[in-house]
Amino acid sequence: MRKQAEEKTNWGASYGELIWRQFSKSWLNIGCLIFVVFLFLVAIFAPFLANDKPFVIRIEGKLYFPLFKNLQPVDYGILLAAIGGLSQLLLIRNERRNRLTKDGSVNGYGCATRLGISCAIIFAGTALVFVLIPRRLDATDYKIMVASGKATTAIFAPVPYGKTRTNLVARQQPPSGQHWLGTDDVGCDVLCRLIHGSRVSLSVGFVAVGISSIIGIVIGAILGYFGGKVDFIGMRVVEAVMAIPVFFLIITAVAFFPRSLLNMAIIIGITSWTGNARFIRAEFLKLRRQDFVQAAVSLGLPLRSILFRHMLPNAIAPVLVNATFGISGAIFIEAALSFLGFGVAPPTPSWGQMLSLGVSTTGRFLWWLTLFPGLAIFLTVLAYNLLGDGLRDALDPRLSKAI
Amino acid sequence: MNRDEILLSVQDLSASFFTEDGVIRAVQNVSFSVSKGRTFALVGESGCGKSTIALSILRLVQQPQGKIVSGEIVFEGQNLLRLREKQMRQIRGNKIAMIFAEPMTSLNPVYTVGDQIAEAIKIHQKKNTNQASRKAGAQAWEDAVELLRTVGIANPEQRAHEYPHQLSGGMQQRVMIAMAISCEPKLLIADEPTTALDVTTGAAILDLLDELQKQNGMSILLITHDLAVVAERADDVAVMYASQIVEMADSQQLFAAPFHPYTRGLLRCLPRSSISNPRSRRLQTIPGAVPQPPPFPSGCKFHPRCRIGCNDNRCQTVEPELRQVQPGRYVACWHAPA
Repeated sequence: MRKQAEEKTNWGASYGELIWRQFSKSWLNIGCLIFVVFLFLVAIFAPFLANDKPFVIRIEGKLYFPLFKNLQPVDYGILLAAIGGLSQLLLIRNERRNRLTKDGSVNGYGCATRLGISCAIIFAGTALVFVLIPRRLDATDYKIMVASGKATTAIFAPVPYGKTRTNLVARQQPPSGQHWLGTDDVGCDVLCRLIHGSRVSLSVGFVAVGISSIIGIVIGAILGYFGGKVDFIGMRVVEAVMAIPVFFLIITAVAFFPRSLLNMAIIIGITSWTGNARFIRAEFLKLRRQDFVQAAVSLGLPLRSILFRHMLPNAIAPVLVNATFGISGAIFIEAALSFLGFGVAPPTPSWGQMLSLGVSTTGRFLWWLTLFPGLAIFLTVLAYNLLGDGLRDALDPRLSKAI
Repeated sequence: MNRDEILLSVQDLSASFFTEDGVIRAVQNVSFSVSKGRTFALVGESGCGKSTIALSILRLVQQPQGKIVSGEIVFEGQNLLRLREKQMRQIRGNKIAMIFAEPMTSLNPVYTVGDQIAEAIKIHQKKNTNQASRKAGAQAWEDAVELLRTVGIANPEQRAHEYPHQLSGGMQQRVMIAMAISCEPKLLIADEPTTALDVTTGAAILDLLDELQKQNGMSILLITHDLAVVAERADDVAVMYASQIVEMADSQQLFAAPFHPYTRGLLRCLPRSSISNPRSRRLQTIPGAVPQPPPFPSGCKFHPRCRIGCNDNRCQTVEPELRQVQPGRYVACWHAPA
């Protein structure tokens, strides 16, 4: 009953709702979305899924929480960010619903205010963790403690191995009941490293795409809006950047800068914005002639508002599609770099780097070291590509009708 | 013509489009002025340069092809063509606002109409008072709803939350008008405001404009090709042909006795009821078509289609200038009655 009433007042769907309706028609799209969300959850909760520290342990009658004590501030930061992001989404949904059903004044905060608040919460939370939980290295092997009977009633994570804890006794073991996906040549559990490696892949993907989207959008918007000489010169510059073989540039750049996740993401980001710039420019050239842009100019709105508030939302479709492909591309480049040994430094787990372990060293072919990380990369890239395809179909009404 | 208080005066304006096929002179040496609180109509066929004039006033001529070549546009003592882009932004929306021919495409499809009106209000408030707060945002929304009520939209609280595609063409045009008058401009440029609407809706929109003009005392520059609209609504009229003004007069005088053969032709073209005028069964037309530049015909641009001009040597070789033939009546024709 309530739903009916809601539908009556809300007889028009917003742009986002229309896209979602189109997008969710295909089960493949939904499947990919679920897989991507699953990957996200794995990455967010990685330390809770795979950790050699137990959640709770009783040592000589006293309760300890070693897992929480050993979490890095980064882990807390990611958790807080995830919670913040989710609450943002819910807030926006709620607000929209309120605005549509209740008529009259707008309630709730502006978008910028909301973002600011959640950012402040994340920073404050992370800082608090830094202060409250003093870092000290905890090298205790709790499993040995449990085995020796010194500690009792311990609750471990589903994969009770540390991401950097080596075990030279259990080297190069094929998958077994103990190590579901086997171990590598220093005795690290493959599943554990896969779970932690998802963070590297996802963060490289998103940071790189974020950077390339922002650069591409700003440059493309300016070129497309002004046109003429600005456009001509700008496009030649873009083409010059496109002519550079990106992969070799990245290898060179990686050699110059310290090997870190962020550096790699930034380098991938600032070399791959050209596609976005071209898409946005093309859309803006088209939009520039539209009446509502003229109307916005004739109302005396500032350039910033015209470009990014009025034109960008109408031009965002190709960028969104390109971003999903960009994420898979960045994940791929990261894997390739790590495979070649230019990626993140070894103790940090990364899929590409694990892949390379399978063929090196002793001459034995360790199939589980190649198959599982390879599968992870393959599935992730595939999921993002299919997601991009689905999104493109949903955003482009002509294409969806033709099929 | 009462010209004691001139709000906008356009002097010798020329605008051209530099395309790959050559230079198209869309507006040539056009001069006119709009008095305070009056409606000035620019009439002409499609492509005669009416809209280019409108866009020139707001300096919105499509760059880089389009360019204002020469002339002055003086608004409240300021030459708009000399202003910097930033100063121009103060004028746009604030003092001169514009509504466009196609209401369906003139509203941004991704925002609710309330959002769009409120944004215009907020930005100009910021300009005028140099302060913005969250309270101003809520206030702007209420103002937007109030404006929607002013322009005659029923149930404005609800409508403000709707997207442009949920509204009908007439309502969209009302929203455009609400946006345009949100900052109480001195001059409203209405570029064919009724072309995309059906006749009754168009009439309602024009009534609304009349009413708003009476309330705010703003001037309206009405651009149209509909002579019936001009006869009913305009105080002063300028008829354009092939990028020039060929006749300019008080609206009543012009319709009572048109001087230029083109104006006469246009008026003859209007369909009349055959009961009141049984002799004219067939609808009259002006022979030929509007010349497509470049090049324009030599001499008077209208001469190939003119009954007098096609036989007159002077018309074919020397171009007539817009001159005053009677007080307040300007005609560009060699054969105009003096």
